[in-house]
Amino acid sequence: MNAMIFAPELYALCMSAVFFGFTLTRPNSRRDFLMALTFAAVGIGVCLTAIPASGDLFRGAYRVDLFSQVFKTLLFMGLFLVICLCSELKGIEERLHSEFYLLLTICTLSMMMLVSSVHLLTLYLALELSSYSLYILVFLRKREDYGVDAGVKYFLIGATASAVMLFGFALIYGAVQTAYLGELLRILPTVLDQPLVIFGLLLTLSGFLFKLAVFPFHFWAPDVYEGAPNQVTAYIASASKVGAIAVLLRLVSLTGGNSEYLAHALAILAIITMTVGNLSAMVQKDLKRLLAYSSVAQAGYILLGILSMNPAGYTSVVFYAAALLLMKFTCFMVVVKVADDGRNLSVDGLAGLHKRSPILAMALMLSLFGLAGIPPTIGFTGKLLIFTAAIEKGYFVLVLIAMINVVISLYYYLLVIKAAYLTEPKEALPDLAISPPVKALAGGLVAAMVVVGIFPTYVIAVARAVARLLLA
Amino acid sequence: MPLTYAAFPFLSTILLACVAGLLIILFLPAEREREIKWVSAVCSGITLAISLFLFIAYDQDLGGYQFVERIDWVPSMGITYFNGVDGFGLPMLLLTGIVFFTGVLTMWEMTLRVKEFFALIFLLVTGVFGMFMALDLFFIFVWYDVSLFPMYLLIAVWGSTRKEYAAMKLTLYLLAGSALILPGIIYLVINAGLNTFDLLALSEPGLFTPGQQRFAFLLFYIGFGILAGVWPFHTWSPVGHVAAPTAVSMIHAGVLMKIGAFGVLRLGMTLCPLGWQYWAPLMAFLATVGIVYGAFVGLSQTDVKYVIGYSSVSHMGIVGLGLATVSVDGLNGAVFQMFAHGLMTALFFSSLGYIYDKTHTKTIADLGGMLKTMPVATGYFIVAALTGIGVPCLASFWAELMVFISAFKVYPIYGTLAICALAVTALFILRVVQKVCYGPEQERFAGLPDVSLGLGAPRIILVSVIVIFGLFPSLMFDMIQTATIPFLDRLP
Repeated sequence: MNAMIFAPELYALCMSAVFFGFTLTRPNSRRDFLMALTFAAVGIGVCLTAIPASGDLFRGAYRVDLFSQVFKTLLFMGLFLVICLCSELKGIEERLHSEFYLLLTICTLSMMMLVSSVHLLTLYLALELSSYSLYILVFLRKREDYGVDAGVKYFLIGATASAVMLFGFALIYGAVQTAYLGELLRILPTVLDQPLVIFGLLLTLSGFLFKLAVFPFHFWAPDVYEGAPNQVTAYIASASKVGAIAVLLRLVSLTGGNSEYLAHALAILAIITMTVGNLSAMVQKDLKRLLAYSSVAQAGYILLGILSMNPAGYTSVVFYAAALLLMKFTCFMVVVKVADDGRNLSVDGLAGLHKRSPILAMALMLSLFGLAGIPPTIGFTGKLLIFTAAIEKGYFVLVLIAMINVVISLYYYLLVIKAAYLTEPKEALPDLAISPPVKALAGGLVAAMVVVGIFPTYVIAVARAVARLLLA
Repeated sequence: MPLTYAAFPFLSTILLACVAGLLIILFLPAEREREIKWVSAVCSGITLAISLFLFIAYDQDLGGYQFVERIDWVPSMGITYFNGVDGFGLPMLLLTGIVFFTGVLTMWEMTLRVKEFFALIFLLVTGVFGMFMALDLFFIFVWYDVSLFPMYLLIAVWGSTRKEYAAMKLTLYLLAGSALILPGIIYLVINAGLNTFDLLALSEPGLFTPGQQRFAFLLFYIGFGILAGVWPFHTWSPVGHVAAPTAVSMIHAGVLMKIGAFGVLRLGMTLCPLGWQYWAPLMAFLATVGIVYGAFVGLSQTDVKYVIGYSSVSHMGIVGLGLATVSVDGLNGAVFQMFAHGLMTALFFSSLGYIYDKTHTKTIADLGGMLKTMPVATGYFIVAALTGIGVPCLASFWAELMVFISAFKVYPIYGTLAICALAVTALFILRVVQKVCYGPEQERFAGLPDVSLGLGAPRIILVSVIVIFGLFPSLMFDMIQTATIPFLDRLP
């Protein structure tokens, strides 16, 4: 086995081993935070150097290629960003901080394995590993009434979804007698007219649709977002989505892009998902719940790119995954920083933010405009790519529906922006103490969202190269 | 159409001046209000100077797109940074420069959240300038949206009269428009199959079937028409005008609504000429309804700003009617009307803004005898009103004349109706002038200071431009004609 091509995973494994060691020692959250930050920062470097790597491992059950490496880098970036928010983990008891980092690392590790898995069993293992770490992470909330409620709900729906998925695996395996995705790619397009295969594929996808919070598997999202510690929510909303998107892309591309049934099923799911997400978000009072529903809606847009099943569509989804990571993370950065004692934040709780911290208010505004797809932000470019791909395939009506959804979504994004920029707090609140590194991070995110939005050439080139692998 | 590349990137310099202003303001501390205002004035002055220079330096004998700049932006998608102006774009650039500069001067006395206000204004105007010069569909859309979303905060924070409702309504309406435009753009780009967003490459005749053109034109017409205040999509506009602070009303009614009409011209009519001809009767119908409706609703308003708002609906209807005639005169008149109406509403809102700042009312019944209280400020208001009525020697007279002459030829009934409506417009504007400006002097307003020469500067500029183009309309017509004649020659 070539250890070099496995380097990012090995690195993450070492990182989790270190934190496992820490869990056995006296709690020291400052040490944990700094170690995690350093590890994650170096980890991005490791992932970047491993980008050119390629090869097969474990008897062909594990593939390292540009697709997996780019997504691994994105995942590690997500981990790093989330750890940046953990300087004060107020939502979690101090004695559990090492466990928090341990689980976060394991979750990232398992999602890195997920994007490399090309065998149904490794896929399942990786997915379960990441899910179980997330279940526990949700439970870690200091206020147990929140955490337990959300954790149980997450666990139950998650377990159901993975049972359904396993059944789908069985059906597919029964139909085509292989569990290697590479062979599936060859055989599946020829047997796609069999109802059994389509049904199996849909059940299989449902496991990942659950992760992405697509209708009808989206019910956990608002409760879990609300109940989990803010940093964990940030992770679920950003990094874990990236993993789910990657696997969905891998699976859907197996059909070779010519399955009408699948496209229609996904189209219906996409429409319902974005509409349900946007309409439900309009009435939310809690910012995290609102963002949860907005995540649901975003999943609908992503499905639109996936169901186009053409190179442009896959490119757009890869691009949008990166965009979503940035935008969603930025929103949750504001949540974490404004709710400085780890509480849940209502939309009204943003009142006076433009005075308390202008940079956070600006970051929030830009990320929300990005989520709504308004130029010149990265979110607009992503949506443009998705819509172009869909119209190329002839789904004009779908795009029109998506655009109407965009207008609906703008309504509640504007309400949040109004709270941050217009509403004055009932009693004067002190300025938020934002440390210079966080200010720099916020500034960097704003710059990244705008610069990539205006000048997306290089990111599109990478996304295109990644997408090409899916169709090879 | 000949393309003349620029020796110096004047157009980008305009955008850079806006972006530079924006960045400088963002990095200045919020307390340095004086400096922020000076930076705004200087940067907006630069944009005005350059647009004036371009207007004069444009070679009218050569025609076509001049001062062109072109850089590949995203080669894999066929997006280019492609700017250029012709006889349609230049009047709009000049208008934007004038309204922007005078708008900044008009807000010289503001004190509430100055930094954010000017930063947002700069962002908005960057979008407007970009929209008028861009020749790439991607950038046209980007600039279009950039010019819209600052409106929400500008109205919701600094506005008056039901500001949050108005801001939300306006933003949602306008972005609903862009929800039609973006699919329209992608639809054409994909169907052309050239993998380019280049407006000129896509406007080659024969690229799209008549059916595609009809479909896409309708998307563009409704999408941009919302912003242009086309009846029945106009309802955001009076509410928005009323709620917005003075400079925003000026830019909004003066320039932003023109973006809508310009978008129909630049995208709809250029890319889908067959669709334009097909839908022209519908455009004429909606425009006429808008003219008549605006006039009659304006008649019953009690708030001066509402009156101006509805007169805008009426006047923008004239632009629509001009575009619908599919003739050189109609197009000339429509573009001239865009220019003239922009100046007129800017002057209207600017002069009214001063009166409102001092008296704190814009209800017609509460005002009266203002000509005695503050004769100069009211004088500007009267000039604006006269322009709105279309008195000869003022810019909009020529524009309306041209539109009506050609409308009579093509749509005699609509033309007659529109002219009758114009009489009603004249009636309600004169009624406002009479109630607000004349009559006995109001005791409680006595002693209010009149507008000083310095504060009056923006209005003086606006009045003089209106008079210059009213006395010498050929200055403008010769310019517009360089674009309209080749434009109509291209029609199949």
